[in-house]
Amino acid sequence: MTAFLARLGAPVRGFLEFLGDQAHLVLRTLRHGLALRFDQLAVVGGQTKLQIRFTGLDAALLVGGTALLLGAVTLIQAFSQLSGLGAENYIGMLMVLIILRELGPLLTAVLVIGRSSTAIAAELGAMQLNGEVDALAIHGVNPYQYLLLPRWLGVLVSVFALVVFFDAAALAGGFLVARLKYGVTWGFFMESVRQALSNIDFAATLLKVIFFAGAITFHACHFGLRIRRSQTEIPQAVTKTVVSALVAVFLIDGFIAALFYF
Amino acid sequence: MIQLRDLACDSPEGRPLLEGLDLAVPKGGNLLVTGASGSGKSRLLRAIAGTERPRRGEVRIAGIAIWPGDGVLSLAGRVRVGFAFPAGGLLSNLSLEANVALPLRFLGLPPAEVARRAGAALERLGLQSVSRLRPHAVSGSARKHANLARVLALEPQLVLLDEPLEGLDTADRAVAQDLVEAWAGDSACTLVMALEEAQAFATLDAERLHLSPVAMPMEST
Repeated sequence: MTAFLARLGAPVRGFLEFLGDQAHLVLRTLRHGLALRFDQLAVVGGQTKLQIRFTGLDAALLVGGTALLLGAVTLIQAFSQLSGLGAENYIGMLMVLIILRELGPLLTAVLVIGRSSTAIAAELGAMQLNGEVDALAIHGVNPYQYLLLPRWLGVLVSVFALVVFFDAAALAGGFLVARLKYGVTWGFFMESVRQALSNIDFAATLLKVIFFAGAITFHACHFGLRIRRSQTEIPQAVTKTVVSALVAVFLIDGFIAALFYF
Repeated sequence: MIQLRDLACDSPEGRPLLEGLDLAVPKGGNLLVTGASGSGKSRLLRAIAGTERPRRGEVRIAGIAIWPGDGVLSLAGRVRVGFAFPAGGLLSNLSLEANVALPLRFLGLPPAEVARRAGAALERLGLQSVSRLRPHAVSGSARKHANLARVLALEPQLVLLDEPLEGLDTADRAVAQDLVEAWAGDSACTLVMALEEAQAFATLDAERLHLSPVAMPMEST
């Protein structure tokens, strides 16, 4: 019986430990980030720029292409199902409900998890194995300031920029279909979108960006920095990062949707 | 400078390596730690540096509690520590020059001073010709020398060296040995060095500590 209870309790304890570790990483990164000196900003800023280039700039084409297709496909499907019901009158609402509110931030987060959180976990794992993290700390280069903070800031800026870019590209894709199918003008299309948008949508998207960026970064850092002994742990850490970050992002998305729209 | 009290460390597999070690090294003092492979020399150095949490005991550096405590982060900005790793330890995405310069830049030194100190350290270790290359593109001995150059450029108050001569040819050994002897003679610098054999430093003025593997309890049958 005790063994059975222990088996039941082990995953719960593991989950609570994971949550505790995440909170610890976030708080320590914040604390050490606030203790950053002015003369260290150039070093940390340089690292942040590298992260923004990799996570944001290098992913822009992928995100833009995906969004363009998604925007177009959404309206193609909507028109095919709602033809005869005046579908063109609902263009704005469809784009806002499906793309801007939900799929924009969510798919951007999924793409960033696939491209960047995997890379962060693998990179930190390799650094840990090679003794680089210890070497940094010993020589006075605080790993929270040099490794974690720039990744967090870089992912935050990138996710924000990519969500804006995703939404813009998806609107462009949707407009192309609406234009070709119904001859909708740009002015009518944008007015329709504008009417369907509210300040709540902006607030919800901003919150999602902040929490998604945190989840993506700190899940990757947690699993990457836990690697201690062998290179075979790296692919395991990457897989765990992807699964765990995806679950976290979907939970956050559901929670924010319930908070703002339920 | 270094105070250890009742220190106990285990290997990653949980094998006891050190038990109840008490040690004090004064500022400017030198300590040579010897012992067979697996006797806990590297663990001891890492526990002193604050990157390895001991199973039990206290570590204090310059009066600052490292264990129990925040480990290496307790020393940040308070005591300059240099650690030469037996292998690895250099950031693989930076050139040797950038590796040497990074701790100096993080200290907040002016760029001209960073360049001067990094350049001088690389020159002393004979690394000018490969200073723009990354660690994977240079030989093992150049990587070891780059580790030493990073320590040298930092002008540390505490120098920890783990097998600094291992894998070096005669010429490279002589360069490293000169540097270690300079640190040992510097009254502002405390030196702790781990070596499997101390023959190369037989004449070095240093306290000596020989570690033997802790006997494992016999399994009852």
